[in-house]
This record gives sequence, structure tokens and C-alpha cells, in this order.
Amino acid sequence: MADKDKDKAIDIPVTAGQPAGGSPYAGVFDRLFDFCRARSLFLLHYCTGCGAIELPPAMTSRYDMERLGIQPMATPRQADILLVTGYVATKTLKRILLTYEQMPAPRYVIGICSCTVNGGMYWQSYATVKKLNEYLPVDMYIAGCMPRPEAVIAGLQQLMDKIEAGRANGWQDYYRRYDAYLGKQQALFGPRWQTPTDIVAEARRFELFGPGTLGAHTSLLDQYQQPLELPSEPVFGRQKDESGR
Amino acid sequence: MRPENYQAVSHPPSHEYELNIGPNHPGIEGNYALRLTLEGDIVVAARADAGYLHRGFEKLMEGRLWMQNIALVPRICVPDPAHMEICYALGVEMLGGLEVPARAQWIRVMQLELSRITAHLFYFGGVAATMGMYSNMFWGVADRDLVLDLFEEFTGGRVYSMFNVPGGVRRDLPDGFLGKLKALLDYLESRLEDYDNLFFSNYVVVHRSRGTGPMNRQQALEWGVTGPNLRATGLAFDVRRDDPYLVYDQIEFDIPTEEAGDALARILVRRRELQESIRILRQVAEQLPYIKGPVRCPLPNPLAWNVPAGDSYARVESSKGELAYYTVSNGGDKPWRVHIRGPSQMHAVQVLENLSVGSRIEDIAQIMFTLDACPPEVDR
Amino acid sequence: MEESKELTGWLERVLEEFHGVKVQRKAARRMRIDIDADALPALLELLQGRAGYVHLSAISCVDWIDDGQFELVYHVLSYETGTLVSAHIRIARDPGVYLSVYDLYPPAAFFERDIHEMFGVYFEGSPDMEKFILTEWDGPPPMRKEFDTRAYVHATFDWQQYDPEWLREIRARGGGIVE
Repeated sequence: MADKDKDKAIDIPVTAGQPAGGSPYAGVFDRLFDFCRARSLFLLHYCTGCGAIELPPAMTSRYDMERLGIQPMATPRQADILLVTGYVATKTLKRILLTYEQMPAPRYVIGICSCTVNGGMYWQSYATVKKLNEYLPVDMYIAGCMPRPEAVIAGLQQLMDKIEAGRANGWQDYYRRYDAYLGKQQALFGPRWQTPTDIVAEARRFELFGPGTLGAHTSLLDQYQQPLELPSEPVFGRQKDESGR
Repeated sequence: MRPENYQAVSHPPSHEYELNIGPNHPGIEGNYALRLTLEGDIVVAARADAGYLHRGFEKLMEGRLWMQNIALVPRICVPDPAHMEICYALGVEMLGGLEVPARAQWIRVMQLELSRITAHLFYFGGVAATMGMYSNMFWGVADRDLVLDLFEEFTGGRVYSMFNVPGGVRRDLPDGFLGKLKALLDYLESRLEDYDNLFFSNYVVVHRSRGTGPMNRQQALEWGVTGPNLRATGLAFDVRRDDPYLVYDQIEFDIPTEEAGDALARILVRRRELQESIRILRQVAEQLPYIKGPVRCPLPNPLAWNVPAGDSYARVESSKGELAYYTVSNGGDKPWRVHIRGPSQMHAVQVLENLSVGSRIEDIAQIMFTLDACPPEVDR
Repeated sequence: MEESKELTGWLERVLEEFHGVKVQRKAARRMRIDIDADALPALLELLQGRAGYVHLSAISCVDWIDDGQFELVYHVLSYETGTLVSAHIRIARDPGVYLSVYDLYPPAAFFERDIHEMFGVYFEGSPDMEKFILTEWDGPPPMRKEFDTRAYVHATFDWQQYDPEWLREIRARGGGIVE
């Protein structure tokens, strides 16, 4: 099947990417950056579930995804792709969201295994999440239970093509429709759910602030946030000066 | 990292601090967390934090037919799925009074030992990575892939084969399979020398792992340690010998033990177990052509199969320790209760916490990996 | 082994002296004991101290909702004989409370903690009754029979909408296999 047919078939609600800024040359540099980005992806190897056992074969010499420029990386601060390998327990989903927001933009999410698509084998389970892309934007799904290393690499190649064509813009959708995503997260975790990353400020900075960024759910963030308080007694023998700080 | 945690806290002058080795960490095997209380570099207290892989297996299994659970069961222990399937099948057979034909039993033994080999090869790679040597992971995963090719050939699936049913195995082996098995066994035995040079006799590995996380026999028995970790303290207890299942009483094999009970002993026990598994597989490959017959006993229609009421406790020796299934039936077509006792329920929780106390922070990863603590078994 | 047959025979004779005990040989190395809930700690102490059943393999909990009882099963293993003894007791479901056997068998701490969070049974004397796996779960204990996991899933989670054109075409044709 052609690439376009595949994109039509899977109806993920991602809005079409628009280049940030209004300069006429923005498009050119974006194409160059996308070309380079697609060829040097760092994969955050967070083994969230079963599918993680087929990642070492894909990374090591037999199927070797390093020839495509894809390398595993331990910290989310330097990673491009968040690999959700397998089913997502609700306890893990909180950590995945924290990790996702720590990654620098542009960032891509791949949902491996059928459990991220529609619950998979554990669709009756009270502890796993069924539809991953209502909590964070997913750029590519690789179905299987579990997918072979060749399937994982084929999915990664498709993601690379998507990045190069400038269509992998799930991360922008997260900023544009943050209220909807946050609403789903709060429905699962409770109204007090919040992460240390200030998504709204980042949306403003990236000029991706849209009508869906703020809403009823983001107003709960302000309500439940606690301001930083300074300690009343000295810490480690430090003396307070006249201003009391 | 929550805003409420940004407040400065005045610490007592004991220099103790808490460190959360969280789920996203290369030093933790799988998706698991440890809360350590440290004083400098030495661990003072440790607390395991599980539940990141919880799927509610036991609840799911109560809602599916006896035959449908075969699809669920291998996913409980990810590196070593054949043991889970076969233990479940043994439990149901004990309940239902099913008689497994001889050929199926030998094929099951072959599956178990091949699965043990894959689990140990993966284990060596993981342990080496905690000491900073990554070549072993590449070698181990590559050799493991050759075994997975064999799995794919006779079961159809690389990792989750779902090949066993209560009453036997699904189908017979393809032609020419035993020749390929023998060729692979020769290859693996020839590779052991390379592994020795790289890893097992490596000066750095030996000195790094000697004395790390030591456990003596009394502690091991008290904490409920089973499997290769128990044999590393000198006690030759193995479910295959003490409580034989399938055809292990007709196969000749040794039970390797080591005396020291530290990380190096645990690694060396598994290396010798790999050799014993190859020896068992050679005997199986020799015997299989002479054992003819069906590969499964006749079963009623799976959609309407009521297993008689009762309970059974099936134990097998998985690559990590004693794996047991307690299956209860109330005479219906779905299990009433299935309780899975995985070996890591002891190793990853109490044993890991106890061994971490007093060790240095850089040894935590090594202790967890050498214990072969598998978090999906803890969480189910 | 003749020795092992003698040992387990002796064990059976001793067990007959317990009140309300039913001993059943289920298979070559499996024995089932049904006993009163009050007599279990004494039985376990006898098995561990006098008969060498040093390994606690598992503690299982079975929810018999129709009887209004929880059945706790203690599986202990002797390494010398290779026999596994399963001691079954029944406790009332409503105040699901029982004693802990942690001082006899330290592995019991894990199983009791697990049964506590999955079934809601409280073990007095257990060192740690805090939640372990379900730390972020605030519903009822999920392994109880009255908890319907399917209903919970349908109420809490959404399903993926998948309606591509090729599938619609197939449905318009009345279903069938595509060549």
C-alpha cells in the first residue's frame, strides 16, 4: 500500500503542521532541519512493557538499527523518540507523561505493539490504558504482538520518511490542544494531576498557542498548584539577613 | 519533581538522603523502581516499588476459557515464556486428569531447555552491561536470535509461542528440525570458549562481581530463594530432580552449584546450567526419533470444556527459580482462581532489599541483574 | 525413597491428633490438609520445626463468594522429601482478618501484602501492609469476585475509532474476504 493510503487509514487527530514564524525562508531551513533530524534520531529506551524484549535484537548487530542513525539514549533530555514498547499500565502512564514532557521539542512517539492501539490482549484489564493517543500524541503505531525486529525497523523507517516530509507534528498538536489531552489525563488520574513542565508557557514560546491550549482543565492547574515557600528556619547553618530571605 | 517537593528541607547531620532509582533507568531490569536511602555511597535502606507492569493477570484469567488462557500466560514472564505456558498446562492437566502422550512430554522438555538457554544468554548480556561491557549483550542477543529462529520454525512465534495446550503440544516437529537443533547445539558449545575469554574469565568481571551481594545458605533458605540463586550458595535443590515433572526422571543431568553465594557465583552457576541444558537437549534430540505417537491427547470442544472441580499446584524449574501455579476449578469452563507464584516475587522484593543494604550504590544494578529479578512476574 | 515414605507416614499419624484435620494424599508428592483457622499456626510450626518443611512456596487466597468465605492456602515444601503440603483454612469474608506467619516464614511478608491489596484481607502481625503494586489504585480490592473488571473498563476508558474507507467499502458490500 502506498504511504498516503496508510496515512488515510489510520485516523489519528493530528492537525497539519505549519511552520513557526512568518519568514519566507522558514520553509527552506525547516526542510533541511527535517532532513537532518530524520537521520539522527535518539531513541529513549524506556521498557514500558512486553515489547521491550524485541528491542535488543533490533538494536544489535543482526537487525542493526544504528545504520539508520537511530541510537538508544538513557535520558529523556537528549532523546527524540519516546518508544512506548507494549501495554501501558496506568501507573506507568504517569511516568510516560512526565518523561514525554521532559523531552525537548520536536519529539516523536511511537506506540509499539497492539496494546497501545486499542488495548490489545489486556482490553479487559482495569490496570492498562486502552487508547494511548488520547493522553499524548502518537506519531506512529507498529502493530504486532509483538512485532518482529524487522517490523520495528520498518516502522522507524516510515517515521523517518514522515519526519523528512514534515508531517510528524504530533508534538505541535500537544501544544495546540493541550486542554483536551490534559482533560483525559485528569479524568484518569484525578483533578490534582499536574506535571512540573509548564506546557502553556512553552506553547507561547514556540508560537503554537492555539484556542485549544487553555480551557476548563488547565484552569484546574492554577487552582491546585502550590507556591514555593521559603523555609522558616535556617538550612545548614545559613543565617537569615534583614530582608528575611 | 512536583512543586511541593521543591521546598528545602533541613536535613539532620547524618548525611542520609533518599534516592529514587526510578522506572526509566538502565540499571534496573525492566520497569521497576527502588527507593534507596543512602549515606554517601553506601545504601542504608532499600524499598522496592512495583506495579508499573501490572495487568491484573489473575483477574483476566478468571474471565477466559481454559484454552483461551494459553494466549495470556506466556506474557507473564517476558524473557522465558515457555515455562509459564507449560506450568499452566501441567496445572490444568493435574486438575482434569489428562494424560499427556510421551512424545509431547519430550517436545515440552525441549522447549523448556531451549527457553532456558535463551533466558541465560540474555542474562549474561544484561549482567555484563551493568559492569560496563556491552559486547556481551551483542553476542548474547545474536546467539539468542539463532535459538529464536528455531522457536519460530517449530512453533511459529519467536518469543510468545503459545505452543502448549493442556494435554500436549499443538503440532509435531517439522522435518529436518532435529538436525538443525543438533547443529545449533554444536555451535553454542563452540561459542562457550569465546564467552569464557570475553566474560567469564575476564579479570575485571571476576573482581567486580566477587563479593558483591553475598548471601549464605541460611539467609537464602530463610528468604525463600530458589533456583540458580539458591544453588549459588551451595544447596543442590532443583525442582527437576526433587519433584520431577514431564520426563526429567529419564534424562541424565547434573545440578551445578557454587559455594560463595555472591554475584560471581550466581553468574557461574548459570554458565554451567547452560552447558547442562545443552547436554539435556542432546539427549532429547537423540531420543525423539524413537518416540512415536500423538502429540496431544483428545480434548473436548474447548468452548464447552468443563474441568472437574478441585485444585492443583504445579511447580516447574524456570530459568529464574521455582515457578508454581495454583489452579482452582469449580467445575466450570473458566478457572475460578489461578495464582501465579513467580520466583522473582522473592528475589526482586525481599532479597533485593536485603542484599542492597550495606552495598555501594554502583553495585545495586549488578545485584538486581545477577539475581535475575524479572519485574513482570512480580506485578503480573 | 523408603525414608521419605516413613517420614510422611509419621507426619500423617501426628496430624491425626489435631482436631478437625482432614488429610488427603492428592498425588505422589502432594498432600492436602484441611484445618481450622485457629490451628494453622501450630500446624505450620510443627511442619517447619519437626518435619523439615522449611520452604514456604506460596500463600494463595481464593474468594468463595457464595459461601461468604476466603480460603487461604499455605503451600510448604520439604526439600528432603520433595513433598508439598497445602494447608487450607477458611476465614469469614466480612472482617477478612487473620494472623500473619511472618515470624515462621519470612517469605510470607510478600504474599500477605499481595493478598491484602488484592483481596482486602488484613494480616495481623505482618511487617508491612502498605500497598505495593496498586499504589495508585483507589477502587475496591480488584481480585474480589464482586469487582467486574469489564464494566470498570467500559466506564473508564475509551476505545479507538477506526473507520477507514476500505473497511466501509467492505461493510457496504455486506462483509466478506478481500482478494
